[in-house]
Amino acid sequence: MFVLLRHLQRVRREAALPKRSGARSLAIRHVDAGSCNACEHELTATAAPQYDLQRFGLDIVASPRHADVLLVTGPVTSRMASPLRVAYDAMPEPRLVAALGDCALGCGVLGASTEIVGSLDAVLPVDIRIPGCPPTPQAIAAAILAATPPRRL
Amino acid sequence: MSLGVDPHQGVERLSVPVSGWREACQSALADGERFCGAFAGGSGSGRRWRALFARGASTRILSTAPEGDELPSVVDFLPAAEWDEREAHDLHGLRFRGHEPLRALIAHPRDASSWTIPVEGEGVYEIAVGPIHAGVIESGHFRFHVVGERILLLDLRLFYKHRGLERAAEGQELAEGLVYAQRSCGACAVTNSVSYALACEAVLGLATSRELRRARTLLLELERLYNHLNDIAAICAGVGFAPGNMAFAALKERAMRLNLSLAGHRFLFGSVEVGVSRLDLPSAAVDQARGELRELRHDTARAWREIQFAPSVQGRLDDVGVLGHDDAARLCAVGPVARASGLRQDTREDSPALWYGSSFAAALPPVADGDVAARLEVRALELVEIFSMLEELFATPVRPDEASSAGPSTSIGVARVESPRGETVCVVEAEMYRVRRLHLRTGSYANWPSLVLATAGNLLPDFPLINKSFELCYACVDR
Ligand code: SF4
Repeated sequence: MFVLLRHLQRVRREAALPKRSGARSLAIRHVDAGSCNACEHELTATAAPQYDLQRFGLDIVASPRHADVLLVTGPVTSRMASPLRVAYDAMPEPRLVAALGDCALGCGVLGASTEIVGSLDAVLPVDIRIPGCPPTPQAIAAAILAATPPRRL
Repeated sequence: MSLGVDPHQGVERLSVPVSGWREACQSALADGERFCGAFAGGSGSGRRWRALFARGASTRILSTAPEGDELPSVVDFLPAAEWDEREAHDLHGLRFRGHEPLRALIAHPRDASSWTIPVEGEGVYEIAVGPIHAGVIESGHFRFHVVGERILLLDLRLFYKHRGLERAAEGQELAEGLVYAQRSCGACAVTNSVSYALACEAVLGLATSRELRRARTLLLELERLYNHLNDIAAICAGVGFAPGNMAFAALKERAMRLNLSLAGHRFLFGSVEVGVSRLDLPSAAVDQARGELRELRHDTARAWREIQFAPSVQGRLDDVGVLGHDDAARLCAVGPVARASGLRQDTREDSPALWYGSSFAAALPPVADGDVAARLEVRALELVEIFSMLEELFATPVRPDEASSAGPSTSIGVARVESPRGETVCVVEAEMYRVRRLHLRTGSYANWPSLVLATAGNLLPDFPLINKSFELCYACVDR
């Protein structure tokens, strides 16, 4: 255990992450609307010690009822369109929708037209766009941080 | 009965009258061949139902013509074919005599009774979760039949992410079709691409060179490396052991960065092509990779040792989610899951089209009793093996190379490649150098029924852990 903790300390030291800059937070609910799972891997990686997104007050929450941001991956399959809407409807206002990855942005989507609704735009109003296939953990972190509300004085 | 043998590719095609279908499958099994998938091929009046059986490196394709839409089912003696038959019913309208009830698999009918198993028994209730889960997880729906805290039965409904990728690939030129196999799954992208490329090369009558085999194997093992690190991190998360989860997440991140530096993509997308390898790693690059891998190996071994001495982890693993040897064999389980149940099944042992030589031997855990502990251990053993192989694979600079023409082209190509989750089978049927049919049966597809079986009888709160120990994809199953 202590070896692991020391190892983690070393990783953190090497990553030399800047200190968090104030008390802000954003609760995120992720929905996989038909991704290839690489976008999920990169989203999970933002919590790894090399990025540690949580130090900015960013948290993945279990329910859309607790979320400020709905973060969606994949090209929205026809089977996921309605669960996606249900999740969105359960969110309190104000709420933001983020499209994570080229699929969600409707770029270069592969698949049969009958099985896919298209880009996330066709289903929900999109506020944050994070391009990439998949976007790197840095890109995900930067895009979400830019959307965190300004610090109140 | 017509017989077409193409010994060069180790594939034998045998066509069987529909009346003899069950006997043909039975005799393949009786001969010790292993079932590795069935699928609908051909089209129009040439529509065929095909089953694949493997022994060592050779594969046999049995084909039969359905009577109208009807075929005799084989699930009574070959339960591993259950999903294949259900899929063919939903996607291709085939009906299987004797497969009753034939529940929907890919189709999502409104009427839940057509796909669910009724809840029966005193004190039994149902808990439904998904398709959206609480963590960052792929979408899928689970129904647990529960008594108290004990799971009686798990009823699955996947295919929320069905994108029709196989259908969309139809009509594409062979080289262009690769991307459909690749993007079906990020975490198996290399395996899917290599299996597709090999299937196409079989169609085109191309033989792989030594250098091409080495480049592909190298990519496959890099993929296995980051997946296994990820899976150990996930199992630590499954028991709530944050230091282990974070340590292995950090190790995985280092593996991903290595991928980026070697192939220009963290998931190695775009690194595999049909008939050619463009991977070009001069000696400086391979030396650097070897150095980084040695450090990674050292740190991985240390982190693994720590997990072995963490009582809060070890106390959760034994006798949980057991998949017995006989059940694993009956359901034709593959990959680390099969090996953790004591089944010696690793397609790398029989992959002449890749670099693994005859000296390669699958890593079997000393106590292969099919529980979470064994599935965790098999991955740790394989990590040691992966690091050793990569050390050899990176011994000399990697040069671009091409496959060479070695024989006549055929209409069906088959390839079997070991993914981080087990054997992935790719079948490409071609016409005029275009894809007529693509069928991808990944290791995850083969193993989902085993997860269902291993779950029954366990405590509900242990399910996330059991699930993590299988770590199956949804994306390449749903396609
Ligand atoms: S954007 Fe790329 S990585 Fe993300 S889900 Fe789509 S194909 Fe996968």
